[in-house]
Amino acid sequence: MTGAIATIEDQLRAILRDVLGIDAARAAALDETTPLFGAMPELDSMAVAGLLTEIEDRLHILIDDDEVDGEMLESFGSLTAFVRTKRDA
Amino acid sequence: MTAGASPRIHPYGDGETMLGFGPSTGPQLLVLQPLFEEMNRTRALIVAICRGLSMRGIGCWLPDLPGTGESIRPLDGLGWRDWRDAVIVAAAAAGVPIGGTVSFRGGALLDDTIDAPRWRLAPTGGRSLLSDLRRSALATGSDPTAPAGYVLSAALTGPLGLAEVAADRARTLRLASDERAADLRVEGIPVWRRPEPQQDARLATSLIDDIAAWSIR
Repeated sequence: MTGAIATIEDQLRAILRDVLGIDAARAAALDETTPLFGAMPELDSMAVAGLLTEIEDRLHILIDDDEVDGEMLESFGSLTAFVRTKRDA
Repeated sequence: MTAGASPRIHPYGDGETMLGFGPSTGPQLLVLQPLFEEMNRTRALIVAICRGLSMRGIGCWLPDLPGTGESIRPLDGLGWRDWRDAVIVAAAAAGVPIGGTVSFRGGALLDDTIDAPRWRLAPTGGRSLLSDLRRSALATGSDPTAPAGYVLSAALTGPLGLAEVAADRARTLRLASDERAADLRVEGIPVWRRPEPQQDARLATSLIDDIAAWSIR
């Protein structure tokens, strides 16, 4: 019960923490410039599958397979921007 | 993790098996596991919960669906209707009135087959489960007609893709990290998301406490 609506950034931090099993401190330290795919060892291609599904479910968007590429997952900032664009669409 | 007595093995339906935990007096709960890979990932958690509840005088019935777990039937010949029917047959085979269902993740898509109050942990829709399977197949380069090794019939994927949890008579728990609507949030690891088997004794205890209070209400 957070009592307030979390930001997209905070929701993505929570999802990454859940899917990747990273600790709270690492999740909290994720910022716009933090590199993700290719830089974070826990984020392998199987984990990407779970990450996308959790983002869809918890942030109420639909992600097409052909929207998923290295650019979208390059950094925490690029993932946040992708989600924000989908939610505004 | 508390030990408790060993479960009993009960047959049901056409060669299917179900574990029975605890006394046949007191509240009796039918426990519905997640679907596909999530079933394996949550097995230790669910068995710990069944044992814990049995030690509090609550009976638990844990069927393996046809084509899963101990079942000898091939999954590829089964449809969604077979799974829904199996839940009804399992409940009847328990031989005691089922006072409630306890469902985890996609198991909640089957709990409306039983006329009883429903307790759920992190319920999810069928479309989401199928997306997960499809993406896992894409990620690993495995055969898209057998995502993650599961050969599924159109009679299963068609209705499952449209399946949503029934809205009524449900108490829903989610993890603290999940913002979606819930009656209670609990701290814990989403073990269904972890490829390596994991235990979370604190989560098991929180869930046992909540299910026990709910079933004895």
